[in-house]
Amino acid sequence: MTVVKTSVRNFLAHKGRMALSAVAVLLSVAFVSGTLVFTDTMNTTFDKLFASTSSDVTVSPKGAAAADEMPSQTGKPESLPASVVARVEKSPGVKSAEGAVSSMSVTVVDSENENVGASSGAPTIAGNWTRNDLRSMEITSGHAPRGPTEVMVDADTADKHGLKLGDELRTIVVTGDIKAKIVGIATFKVTNPGATILYFDTETAQRGLLGETGRFTQINVVAGQGVSDTQLKTDLAGSLDGAYKLQTQKEMTDSGRESVGSFLDVMKYAMLGFAGIAFLVGIFLIVNTFSMLVAQRTREIGLMRAIGSSRKQVNRSVLLEAVLLGVVGSIAGVAAGVGLAVGLMKLMSAIGMELSTQDLTVKWTTPAVGLALGVIVTVLAAYIPARRAGKISPMAALRDAGTPADGRAGRIRGTIGLLLTAGGVAALLTATQAEKASEGSLFLGLGVVFTLIGFVVVGPLLAGFFVRVLSLFVLRAWGPVGRMAERNALRNPRRTGATGAALMIGLALVACLSVVGSSMVASATDELDKSVGADFIIQSSSGQPIVPQAQKALEAAPHTSHITEYKSIEAKLTTPDGKTVSEDLAAADSTYAQDLRRETVAGELSAAYGKDAMSVGDTFAEEHGVKVGDVLTVAFKGGETGKLKVAAITSDDVSVDKGAKYLSIATAERYLSAERLPKNILMFAAADDGKEKEAYAALKDSLAPYPQYKVQDQTDFKQDLKDQIGQLLNIVYGLLGLAIIVAVLGVVNTLALSVVERTREIGLLRAIGLSRRQLRRMIRLESVVIALFGALLGLGLGMGWGTAAQKILALEGLGVLEIPWPTIGGVFVASAFVGLFAALVPAFRAGRMNVLNAIATD
Amino acid sequence: MTTAVTIPKHGGTGGRLAVAARARQVVKAYGSGETRIVALDHVDVDIARGQFTAIMGPSGSGKSTLMHCLAGLDTVTSGEIYLDETEITKLKDKKLTQLRRDRIGFIFQAYNLLPTLNALENITLPMDIAGRKPDRQWLQRVVETVGLADRLKHRPTQLSGGQQQRVAVARALAARPEIIFGDEPTGNLDSRAGAEVLNFLRRSVDELGQTMVMVTHDPVAASYADRVLYLADGRIVDEMRNPTAEQVLDRMKNFDARGRTS
Repeated sequence: MTVVKTSVRNFLAHKGRMALSAVAVLLSVAFVSGTLVFTDTMNTTFDKLFASTSSDVTVSPKGAAAADEMPSQTGKPESLPASVVARVEKSPGVKSAEGAVSSMSVTVVDSENENVGASSGAPTIAGNWTRNDLRSMEITSGHAPRGPTEVMVDADTADKHGLKLGDELRTIVVTGDIKAKIVGIATFKVTNPGATILYFDTETAQRGLLGETGRFTQINVVAGQGVSDTQLKTDLAGSLDGAYKLQTQKEMTDSGRESVGSFLDVMKYAMLGFAGIAFLVGIFLIVNTFSMLVAQRTREIGLMRAIGSSRKQVNRSVLLEAVLLGVVGSIAGVAAGVGLAVGLMKLMSAIGMELSTQDLTVKWTTPAVGLALGVIVTVLAAYIPARRAGKISPMAALRDAGTPADGRAGRIRGTIGLLLTAGGVAALLTATQAEKASEGSLFLGLGVVFTLIGFVVVGPLLAGFFVRVLSLFVLRAWGPVGRMAERNALRNPRRTGATGAALMIGLALVACLSVVGSSMVASATDELDKSVGADFIIQSSSGQPIVPQAQKALEAAPHTSHITEYKSIEAKLTTPDGKTVSEDLAAADSTYAQDLRRETVAGELSAAYGKDAMSVGDTFAEEHGVKVGDVLTVAFKGGETGKLKVAAITSDDVSVDKGAKYLSIATAERYLSAERLPKNILMFAAADDGKEKEAYAALKDSLAPYPQYKVQDQTDFKQDLKDQIGQLLNIVYGLLGLAIIVAVLGVVNTLALSVVERTREIGLLRAIGLSRRQLRRMIRLESVVIALFGALLGLGLGMGWGTAAQKILALEGLGVLEIPWPTIGGVFVASAFVGLFAALVPAFRAGRMNVLNAIATD
Repeated sequence: MTTAVTIPKHGGTGGRLAVAARARQVVKAYGSGETRIVALDHVDVDIARGQFTAIMGPSGSGKSTLMHCLAGLDTVTSGEIYLDETEITKLKDKKLTQLRRDRIGFIFQAYNLLPTLNALENITLPMDIAGRKPDRQWLQRVVETVGLADRLKHRPTQLSGGQQQRVAVARALAARPEIIFGDEPTGNLDSRAGAEVLNFLRRSVDELGQTMVMVTHDPVAASYADRVLYLADGRIVDEMRNPTAEQVLDRMKNFDARGRTS
């Protein structure tokens, strides 16, 4: 019991010294629980949405796309004949059945040609207004659409784009443009995370979205009284002879959740990964805190041992303090996590994804996981200091221990660290020599882990060296104050090492990713320069295929020498070795061979655009033993099966169109009906010589009514690529920010505790004439040196990792290594400022210390 | 009883005051109301230049407080303190820090040295902080006087307690301060090491003309001084010139006895 009492009292007595450790635990736990709450809330929202939009049983054609899939390549969804509705109605247990039309292959623009469709990845859906829709929505103004010139829109979209009754919308679909006035606005009764919904009357929807009347994309079936959904499904399966896909409400919800969920899972695990890094960094902070607390209490612990406490009791009492710290930090962290989730939801609505706090879901597992993680990590981190506390001899009570300068970093430690580092470096070198990317990445992973642990272990030794070197450049300018700062940073290399290592982890990842990112940009740019012959690329920003009316407009643009169509076609290939695989084929005009120059391993690429010919990539060819002249059996999806001769084998040593299998559109047309032939997913254009500018302007003009497509010249395209990678990197840097914040807290913590520890020294210095300003400067310089030490290690390590990663990715076409020196240099300089910032409070407090009290402190 | 202000304000030391520091009607009180404790009660004192003054008194007599106030480490509640002709009771922290740095030397009971600096660096620290170059010749003389020439590169942890205090003495002397304050400088040393340090202090007064003020409760330490001031209940109650250890001890016993009977 006394153990508990002393632990609690110690914890309370030193709560100020534990505060930053608690904050570190809090931040990490908040990130974890915030992620869990946020993703759970998203799941709740989608569950409610899918449950309210699905009828008891839904009948749809086999092969119909799931809720989240890309818009269909043909521009039209799969459909079934209207006659099925009557058959369903006659089936036992059916109360009512209603045909519905809905399509995601739509783009909606207002009178100014501004896209009013959903952004942030949510779909834009057009359909007919049915009784089933009444379950999830209600008409809040106007009325349901009647006739071909009327449309109803959802209230969120209307709000977002300032649409009113009477405004005209143009809906761009593969069959042409539908111009209609808004006659109604319907509001969701549940949260709609961001989809734009349009309603037409049934005939308009059928004509526009499916190209013909008398067809539906699905039938919503309502069960009669006392008939369960599964019973109804079984009955319907009998009545329809299994010709259609049947899904109960639960199955619809589940399949919706699965598709949304897999995206959410990726996000969840990515964010938990970053939380894990923050925890890892937090461990260093906690280790330092407890080490310092134990060191400061050496005498007290010695006394406890002298009067009869066992090692175990001392050990346990320190661990108990860690448990208390973990519990306090985690509880606050879980609460902060809920706040974080709410903040994240607000942020999401700012970028167009509506989430309602009404759906806020906190499962019991969230606080449980948060608390468990927080406590376990804290106790693990405190374990080594606790053991050290247990080893304190009773003699410590008698000795005038003070705070001895622990200069010995340990030879064993150094050896282990160097061995680990050497092993890691060897693994990284092996990785760069690997012939297969999978093998390389295994070694890369090993190398990263070993060099990281090695650096952490050897950190205290490196601290001695680097601090001396850094102070040669940075500190010496400050004279005796700089020298004292240097000595202070060197005084306890283990502490400096751990503090720097915490910063090292975050910055190593930043450096590594920035190297990979800029190498990606450089490699892609390099390849584009070498291989792309087209002047312009036309593509959709939302994955929508290019509709014929837009294509016509493009083709009418002046000053172009040629325009290339490019389609992606699904097919099953049977190779000479007898295997059948599903592959996407690239059907293009033969001019594509000029637009994208490809090296061939065998055969001529132009021959692949001949009748019933195609090309394959060399990886595929090797895998299936395909040679030029071999004949592949190609079963086109939704079309017939043909035999195509392999006329060329292209090199896969590229990143654009890697492994593409080319054939001409004319060949594809032989096996696919016009209805089934996918629309263009990309188009390329070349300008007449010397007319590049005019052609660019003309192409842009031609697409003005179609804002979902963009024309880019090579410069735009490269910039776009750079922006996309830059954006991705910024998100990752933002998430790594958490780990870096924790590391900065670690620097603050070390400094603050050092100031407490050195109270007497500071008092002496002040007594013999060190001014406040000099004292503050001394602490700031120490902080800067620790931060720069961490930055140097981290950036060095990260650049090593990044370079090794690039060497492996070179096998996947990432041929150019580019180290982003401005970023690296910027981070290094920024860490100096981080150091200054971290020293603000400790320096201020040291400056305010009363000289006499400082001298008198025991 | 007597006042300690007995030395003429102007002496024969080249026009400078014969008094290195003086306190006038100094009061130092802590707390207020019923919990008010008066540590110094209207103290007047003059510290003679070029002399070794010891301040004695029982625990709680205010001897350390007096020294802290004289040295500009602590503020006074009322009254004035002068170092030479500077009224230090009027100075703000920044000026006071400079004054301590440039004109005062300190020797504390323990923790006198920075563990990260070697002996020589510790000795020159006040001048380094001030950005002044130490006077080489003087430094050498000081180092020789305290007998540390062969230990200059050692860290404090590699030195004995007596050696550490000698480094502290050297540090105080090296900057040629107007006055050196010692707060029980031999309190943590055994009698032999203590005698060594006190001899150095005595020699620095005799040979280098240093003004020295030392707080102590050890009659033997006090016997090295030219003059001993006795403090009790925040007042100077007596003084003695050219004391011997026996005289000081007798006087102390006397106080104790009186303290008990009165």
